[in-house]
Amino acid sequence: MLKFAARQAGRCALGLLGAAAAAAAISAIALPHKNGLGPFLLAAGVRLWGFLELDFGKSAISGLSAGGELAHSLPQTMALVLAGGCVALLVGVPLGLLLGAGPIRRAAAPLIQIVAAAPVFCAGMALAWGAARGLHWPVSVNAPMQGEAPIFTTDPAALRATALPVLTVGLAGAAAVQLALRRAASQSAREAFRSGLRRMGLTALEIERFYVAPQVIGGLLASAAEIMLALLSAALVAEWVFHRPGAADLFVKSVALQDWNMAALILFVFAALTFLADLAGRVGAEALASKDKP
Amino acid sequence: MSAPGEAPLLRAALRLLGWCGLGLIAVAVALGDFLARAPAGAAFVGPMLSAPSAEFPFGTDLLGRDLFSETLHGLSVSVSHALLGTLLAIALGGFFGAVAARLPRPAGLTLRGVFAIFASVPALLLAILVIGLSARFYAPLAAGFAAAPLAFVRAFDRVDVNSAHAEYARATGISWTTLLRRDLTYEFRDTLGTVAARALAAVTIILSTVSFLGFGATPPARDLGLMIAAAKASYLHAWWTAAFPALALLVLILCARLAAGLDESERP
Amino acid sequence: MSDPVLREKEPLFELAELCVTRPAAARPELDRFSLTLGAGQSVVILGEAGSGKDALVRVLGGFTDRLEAISGTIRFNGGEARPAARRARAPIRIAYLPGPMAQPFAPHAGVLSQLVRVVARKLSSPLASAREELRLALERLPGAPPLEALEKRPGALDPVTAAWGLLAAATAQTPDLILADHPYADLGPGAVRALLETLAGEQKRLGFALVYATGGLQPVARLGGRIVVIRDGRVVEEGDAARLMSGHAHAYTRTLFKALPQLSLDRPKSRGVAHGQPLLQVHGLDLQAQGHQGLTFALRRGASLALVGEEGSGRRALARALLGLDRPAQGRVVFDSVDLGVLSQTMTARLRRRIAFITGADEALDGRMTLWDTVDEPLRAHLDLSQELVAGYRESALKRVGLASHDGKRTVASLGSFDKRRLQVARAIVGAPLLVMVDEPLRGLDAFAQTILREVLSDFRADYGPAFLIVTSDFTVAQALADEAFVFRDGKVVERGPIVDLLRASKDAATRALIEAVTLPSLSPAPDSI
Repeated sequence: MLKFAARQAGRCALGLLGAAAAAAAISAIALPHKNGLGPFLLAAGVRLWGFLELDFGKSAISGLSAGGELAHSLPQTMALVLAGGCVALLVGVPLGLLLGAGPIRRAAAPLIQIVAAAPVFCAGMALAWGAARGLHWPVSVNAPMQGEAPIFTTDPAALRATALPVLTVGLAGAAAVQLALRRAASQSAREAFRSGLRRMGLTALEIERFYVAPQVIGGLLASAAEIMLALLSAALVAEWVFHRPGAADLFVKSVALQDWNMAALILFVFAALTFLADLAGRVGAEALASKDKP
Repeated sequence: MSAPGEAPLLRAALRLLGWCGLGLIAVAVALGDFLARAPAGAAFVGPMLSAPSAEFPFGTDLLGRDLFSETLHGLSVSVSHALLGTLLAIALGGFFGAVAARLPRPAGLTLRGVFAIFASVPALLLAILVIGLSARFYAPLAAGFAAAPLAFVRAFDRVDVNSAHAEYARATGISWTTLLRRDLTYEFRDTLGTVAARALAAVTIILSTVSFLGFGATPPARDLGLMIAAAKASYLHAWWTAAFPALALLVLILCARLAAGLDESERP
Repeated sequence: MSDPVLREKEPLFELAELCVTRPAAARPELDRFSLTLGAGQSVVILGEAGSGKDALVRVLGGFTDRLEAISGTIRFNGGEARPAARRARAPIRIAYLPGPMAQPFAPHAGVLSQLVRVVARKLSSPLASAREELRLALERLPGAPPLEALEKRPGALDPVTAAWGLLAAATAQTPDLILADHPYADLGPGAVRALLETLAGEQKRLGFALVYATGGLQPVARLGGRIVVIRDGRVVEEGDAARLMSGHAHAYTRTLFKALPQLSLDRPKSRGVAHGQPLLQVHGLDLQAQGHQGLTFALRRGASLALVGEEGSGRRALARALLGLDRPAQGRVVFDSVDLGVLSQTMTARLRRRIAFITGADEALDGRMTLWDTVDEPLRAHLDLSQELVAGYRESALKRVGLASHDGKRTVASLGSFDKRRLQVARAIVGAPLLVMVDEPLRGLDAFAQTILREVLSDFRADYGPAFLIVTSDFTVAQALADEAFVFRDGKVVERGPIVDLLRASKDAATRALIEAVTLPSLSPAPDSI
């Protein structure tokens, strides 16, 4: 188990280094340098060194430290991703399990995947329309919201403002969660051990509980990177649709205004989140599989 | 849960439905100019924000444009852009991934590592970055580039280079090019339709989102994403301005995903 | 003290007129099958793949599918006869004994924990007690590994250890009946012998009845008792081994037993290739750098050499070193006058075109390819031939192995093991190899298939004349295909020489054990008086 964790950590570290190198290369575009591959590589090397020293340069728009700007915006995005992740698990796990019972439901289950694969912005706009027309909420999709609207709050007005982006991100995440769950379950359905253990005397419930469920949950954990990608992507769109400030919204503005330093840093952070989610998921899946000891 | 061979008729029917849907969309796109009542972007064809009626089946928008015609034109732009992006995603992603898996191991793994780094970033952000670095004209190519890394990694991982039959083949002097030919013949060729349909769905989602965010198609060549973005100003009280373009987009993606077959063992 | 009460014992179970038909099947899988078995008795159900043994095991074990059409009755301990289709729990304790190669274990959990859970369920006891029962059962089995050896996951556990664990789990349940479902089909003869003898011993000790479904003849020899020969769902014949092998048995039964491979003490006829050029020359080969004098020998063109030993004895490592797949720690290997140690990868690949493989591992063929493409590939990859020539060579090769009537566009994945082995031979034939490496070619095949494949390989050798390098744990295979053998134990060659000399006067215990594993004296066929 320790060896496995160390191997995965090594993979993660390599990935982070690669992401830093890629971000440094993008950021090097912003540095003044002569044309040509050599000068560009040198500039990229300078930026990479800066990254490793936690010097992320300055934003070309505000002139402030890029790290500082991101530190201001990132928590909102992370809160949105976290809340959306909770919704994703609450909705996606039961949906994945429900759609797994019976051959007809299993074959028809892909239809749900299709609906779930619809663009996030369509889902966000549909939710906004439903909230405005059905629930008569004060929804704004055309202008930035007034005042702060923290995700984790008990204020009903603030909750109304955050529910829609959280739901948008959560439903996108739920699609990824239920797909990962059903993929793991379909792989498990093909295994010969189900009939082997059944014939040897275990009940169907025991087989599901002790051998299939860990395999399925392990498969879900192993797909953590995929789920994180879906949540981050959905967060970008949700912040844009509902005019919420955050790192994803900052990224779009950075690219539009050619602030490559800022864009590169945000990309690196998102890549790092995905790599870390992948590491946690794989180690978690392996830990679950190693737990079996009656 | 879902195992191959379960409810095969239902699966085949869904797949057929998907391909038929794509065929109908292709026909609609080809006959778009004929079916549409007005050229693309023609304003004040009818009253502003008129609800769906016999005269304007999809209603009109803020500038009095016939939404039925606009949706057809938008669909045409979306489909043509998506096809271009799909070709690039398949070539750079799926095809190149299968080739890279058969290269000498250090080279193959290095390539996989590089692509994996780009695959760790949401494809949407990657597409926006590529569009920002190049000109907006290249939005379809940017979407293709953005979808390629994940497709590369999946195609690479699908090739089992350490399989018994690969070892057996190498032990009898079969070269890596012959093994690659096997992969392309039996894996790629047999599943090309599925791979293409899946890539089409993914690229369409990326392109439409990118357009929605303002990085994709520019007027007058409005695609569906841009139409939905423009409808944000009016759709809360004129639902049809966003609903019909969104429906067209959903149908396109729906058909592509149905045609892809949706085997749960395959990552989307 | 009470007097013992004498009572007539009822049969443990009685199956009457059992018919089993799978959905959409053209014919019944089992047709009007009847079987009665008393407590403590055993019966071997002997038949080819698809003969109906699986259906019998499913019905007795209660594992039938709801969609199967089942008729007939079953009665336990003289009780009321009930429809065999009813899937109610049997009133006797039945233990199911599968083979490790059937992958009965969940891949990500330890084998021990799974076996403990099975025993706990069957004995309705806590897990700790079940673990203790399993440990005791293992300790009672001579030659079984310790309990801790089973703690690994199935992928990391060798099949023989898993087989011991499965046997212990079955006996720990103190069953009335054990249903053995091809439990040792893919294991080496030495391991099969030990396991079968232990099973027979446990049966005597515990008094359980045994239904043993098999396609091979080893269980018939080791277990003795009643044999039911089954074919296409029907009983051909039943009796003991002596009767079935006599001249009064059914023609099918006689053919089955006549096909039993026997070790012969007669010297083989000279094949006239003893003076061929050396194809493979080995000088001072030492695989593990153990510092002792390495192996030196030569294999001439057209000759054949068997590397005989149990799994893990080192025979495969030597074969891989001889073919340049692994570098030895010390020594030189010269193939067709070229030192393998100095060749570049490209040149080695060119040299390897003259080597063919025939192996008992079905994964050696690419399941995605079609039958024709599998045979064509060596021709297309290495030679520039026209379509017609390729088709001609392909047809000829497929005819030789009996696959010409199969649809050439079928994928390899859709073929059974027997067809896949023959396909490997066809692929080897078109390659016109100088050397053929044959690695446990008969693994997992039933008796008939083994006979035919043995003939196919012998004909290939006789007609095309390549040198053969055979890796096997079965001396009958070695003798059928080779004249000389090296015997392996613990990574070393312990004995070598002409096979007949080894059979007549082996010096090493490992050699004797390998010979005894395939010596089935109770099954010597009657003289050719049929």
